[in-house]
Amino acid sequence: MAQERRRRRRRRSEFAFVLKLIITVALVILIFEGRLIYTMITFDSSEKHVAVETEEESETGQTQPETEAYAVSDNMYLAGLADAGAILSGTETEAETEPLTEHDTVSNPDSTAIVREQAEAVDDTYFSDAVFIGDSRMEGFRNTSGIKEGTFFTSVGMSLRSMTSKEIISDGEDMITVAAALSGDTYGKIYIMLGANDLGEYSWSEFKSGFISVMERFQEIQSDAIFYVCSCIYVEEDKVDTGDYINNDNVDSLNAVLLEVCEEEGYYYLDLNEVLSDGYGSLIEDASTDGVHLSSDYCKIMLEYLKTHYVNVTEHDSSDTETESETSD
Amino acid sequence: MKKLTAILCAASAAIMLTACGSDKEETVSIEITDLAEDLLETVTSDSLSETSESLIPSIYYLDEDAVASAVAYASSGATSCEIAVIESAESEDVETVEEKLQTRVDNQTELYSSYNQSEAARLDTAIIKSTGTYTVLCVCDDTDAAEEILESYGF
Repeated sequence: MAQERRRRRRRRSEFAFVLKLIITVALVILIFEGRLIYTMITFDSSEKHVAVETEEESETGQTQPETEAYAVSDNMYLAGLADAGAILSGTETEAETEPLTEHDTVSNPDSTAIVREQAEAVDDTYFSDAVFIGDSRMEGFRNTSGIKEGTFFTSVGMSLRSMTSKEIISDGEDMITVAAALSGDTYGKIYIMLGANDLGEYSWSEFKSGFISVMERFQEIQSDAIFYVCSCIYVEEDKVDTGDYINNDNVDSLNAVLLEVCEEEGYYYLDLNEVLSDGYGSLIEDASTDGVHLSSDYCKIMLEYLKTHYVNVTEHDSSDTETESETSD
Repeated sequence: MKKLTAILCAASAAIMLTACGSDKEETVSIEITDLAEDLLETVTSDSLSETSESLIPSIYYLDEDAVASAVAYASSGATSCEIAVIESAESEDVETVEEKLQTRVDNQTELYSSYNQSEAARLDTAIIKSTGTYTVLCVCDDTDAAEEILESYGF
């Protein structure tokens, strides 16, 4: 009997020992790892919070992913689990991205060289005495915009350098230079689109002097024509795989040079990004499959832009007269 | 003798008429829009769009009077893919059309070679074929499928 009591006492004391051991371990974990446990709980709830907000946002049609990324990022940073959290939420890069800000498509919005929208659109016959000079983007415009009139001197890969010196235009027999092609007839309007193949090629001052020189040459050949300089169209940077230098900061810089030349030399500047920008200094998302060349719908938008942005011949003639009188003075 | 002459004349006239009839039967007639749309299925790497018919002669260096009708689908500039179906006004113009389409391919190859090598390589597989007064240029992804389509249209 006494032996039985001793056994029970021993079992009780063993159970009490195990219980004390478990409590001690739990206390140690709570003391030393409590911050981690708290962090894990709060991180989980913040994830749910963001998920709910994202759902609400998609219902209301608002899109400001960067703000949400920052919300997640703050919590993760406090938690000391930034990297793991970012991987889980898939917002590692976005968390570091600056919030988008509205972006002017021109360096000088008040410039008199910028062609303004006219009250009445012209039809395709306006382009019957027009010549379009440019790279693959201009060629894409010819191919897919539905434009019915006009002469096109385009070639894939055209740049300021190749436009100046290389034989890149075919007349059906031989390859000739742009200047030689331009000499073949008399044109009333010249549209020039350059830039995508010039980014990263030269300094901006080199580009400016080269561009002025080529425009002067063209003006010698077609002295009575209206010269329209098309802005370089933005790209969708995420889709571009042809080089880091093809980016929208460079497009902005190049367009600033083009506008400057138009102001100084009396050419007309067409701000195509007015209708092709997403408002934040980039090409409209999905306007292009490769981030550079516009799909048909956006070439049609560009055509409509050209039909509503033109210079009246009388306006052009009077500005010519002013320039001449300024020169003679 | 007169009867014999009359019979011979009637027989030769009948032969000539039959010959004319068979010539007429052999004349190829193709719905160029259908053919171009079928060939469009062979382009998978790009989304081609229809080019204005009025611009087709200048793109392919053709004399406007030599073209009876034409359909072309071209790229945004992202690839060298393109499809053109030209109906010549006269059968003797077909050879010139083929030459001009080849000139177009050669020029594009030269320009793409310093710009995008893979697109230049695609132009090596360009198909130029004629039947009757029709000539086709097809630069696409699936040339076997394009050949099959052309065969079904009598090329």
